[in-house]
Amino acid sequence: MIARMVKVEIIGPNEQLMETLALVRELGIFQIEPDITCFVTPDEEEKIRSLNLDEKSVAERIFFEDLKARIDELFACLPQVEVRESYLDPGRVLDSVAATVQQHRVTCGEWCRKREALQKELAELSGYAVFLGALEPLLARLNPKSGLDFIGVTIKDPAALEELMRVLTRLTEGKFEVLTVKAEDGTLIGLITLEQGLAEKVRRTLGDQHVPELTFPATLADLPFPEKIRTLRARIAGVSGEIAAIDRDLTQFALRWGAIYQGVRRWLAERLALHTNMAYLHQTGMCFFIHGWTPAAEVARLRDGLDKRFGGAVIVEEKQILEQDLDLVPVTLRNPPYFRPFELFARLLPLPRYASLDPTPFIAICFPLFFGMILGDAGYGLVLLVLSLVLAQAYRKRNMVRDAAKILFISACYTIVFGIFYGECFGEFGARLLGMEGAFLVERRLAIIPMLYFALSVGMAHVTLGLLLGFVTAVKRKTGREALYKLVSIFVMGCLVVLFLSMTDILPRLLTKPLTVALLFLIPILFFAGGVLAPLELLKTIGNIVSYARIMAIGLASVLLARVANRFAGMTGNIVVGVMLAVVFHTVNIVLGVFSPTIHALRLHYVEFYSKFVLPGGRKFEPLRKE
Amino acid sequence: MEKVYIALAAALAVGLSAVATAWAQSKIGAAGAGTLAEKPELSGTIIILVAIPETMVILGFVVAVSILNM
Repeated sequence: MIARMVKVEIIGPNEQLMETLALVRELGIFQIEPDITCFVTPDEEEKIRSLNLDEKSVAERIFFEDLKARIDELFACLPQVEVRESYLDPGRVLDSVAATVQQHRVTCGEWCRKREALQKELAELSGYAVFLGALEPLLARLNPKSGLDFIGVTIKDPAALEELMRVLTRLTEGKFEVLTVKAEDGTLIGLITLEQGLAEKVRRTLGDQHVPELTFPATLADLPFPEKIRTLRARIAGVSGEIAAIDRDLTQFALRWGAIYQGVRRWLAERLALHTNMAYLHQTGMCFFIHGWTPAAEVARLRDGLDKRFGGAVIVEEKQILEQDLDLVPVTLRNPPYFRPFELFARLLPLPRYASLDPTPFIAICFPLFFGMILGDAGYGLVLLVLSLVLAQAYRKRNMVRDAAKILFISACYTIVFGIFYGECFGEFGARLLGMEGAFLVERRLAIIPMLYFALSVGMAHVTLGLLLGFVTAVKRKTGREALYKLVSIFVMGCLVVLFLSMTDILPRLLTKPLTVALLFLIPILFFAGGVLAPLELLKTIGNIVSYARIMAIGLASVLLARVANRFAGMTGNIVVGVMLAVVFHTVNIVLGVFSPTIHALRLHYVEFYSKFVLPGGRKFEPLRKE
Repeated sequence: MEKVYIALAAALAVGLSAVATAWAQSKIGAAGAGTLAEKPELSGTIIILVAIPETMVILGFVVAVSILNM
């Protein structure tokens, strides 16, 4: 349900403003309202003014912002390490920290820049590592003092290799050797060995033919090929060592200074948050005013906290919420533990307005019911029950998954109950195996028309509940005409249903005449309350009720899919293959059985049910609290 | 022959409404996916929008069942 909120004004002497604001932030139960028009009368508005920051406060804020920015910059250079809690009071060491942070920022910035340059170099050198690995075994087979030259090339495919051989034969008259090997990334690497005099000519031709030669950094350009590789490898090792040394220095620095800087940064963030919120406060010559909202259940805690700290110097005054304030009141949902996981569904849509109703309790009751009605299979229910327990256990710390697991658990219980009512356990096969036929209340596969009537009856009840809640909401908002419209709609819908039943001889035909008279009496009232569009709305409501036929339709599809799974398994004539096929089909059916009923049950709530009473557009309650 | 016509009518009732639903959902779904990429907080609204055309096929199914039980 929507928590009852209280309009609150906190008043105290100007000199205790900062401390009051800090305490309010610490309590985390008060939302500051920047717009004070609903808190003060026009006369009072002239006497109070927005808080004017004095020169000292402005200078302090600029100093805090600058210092925080510099500490943030320092932390951007440091590695993430676990640091102990600092015992120093940040407020007392600010000046020392401001002096040292500049020097530390320069030192760490220098390390970071050096590290960045080394990393860039290492990335470039590592690019050659692929070729190094491939070429080393080839070079091991060659004599370095033979007066030969070496050209390394990358070859795209075997066809390119043949073309390369042809070109080399033409250029060197067959005085060459090509050794190839596959690199780690799958590229074909070739090492061409040839006389030194021919090397330049071959290089030029390969360049013209777009055969990429392995290129090395300019510093290695003049070295012979085997020497290049050795030097490159040595440089990679050297750069890696230098990076490790810088990392060590940075980690040691973070361990030594991180705790102090982190403590100061946190303190600065808190002070700056207070400074930011000061723009929303008001004052007179002697006292300050903080206007805002707090849940009714928390007012006592707020009052006690302020009394305890300021001994009555700062007071909390409750103000009456007027009709025109209703759209301004922030909304927070407070539901009992059973309903709370279902707030997940309520949060998917905009929050309801304060004067509206929280749909969570209704969705918590009806959603699992609809889910169970649609899936209705004891076997599938058991599987989902186990799955929900596993999910809840595996994701204990993730609130959203835990809530989803709780919803699945409740829905699975309803699925089992309806499975027993329908006599289904992995379709009709499992039910027969377990002797559940006796439990049949209705066999969905055959009783299509009774199930259709059942689904429509559920729809009628659900939509009528929605209209009733709409009536309550309208009364709460004091919109009499809307309340009358909702009430008359309920009677008209009731009359239409009974009329239909009496005309189809399910109820006595005698009822037809009085019901027609009642409708003739109610319809003008409907026009009066709902305007000219009232009949259209009525038709929409009838459409909403028919929409509940999906409970039967999706359920029937689920039964038939389970039946197909069992039939297919039976047709194989082999127990092992049959069981495997049945497992696959039933798994698919269970996956569909989770998604389909969820989407459809949600849709029935969001479209058919919510539209009758929920007024979206509520303001979320966002109290001032520590990050 | 009458049975064939009844079956054909029922098949058309559910088949045509299914095609219409699929067409509408394809358009809404594509637009919805685009919207979600930019505003994930609208997931609830998108679910509703995608699920709205399904009423057509459900009504088609109800009509088909009524035809077969006439």
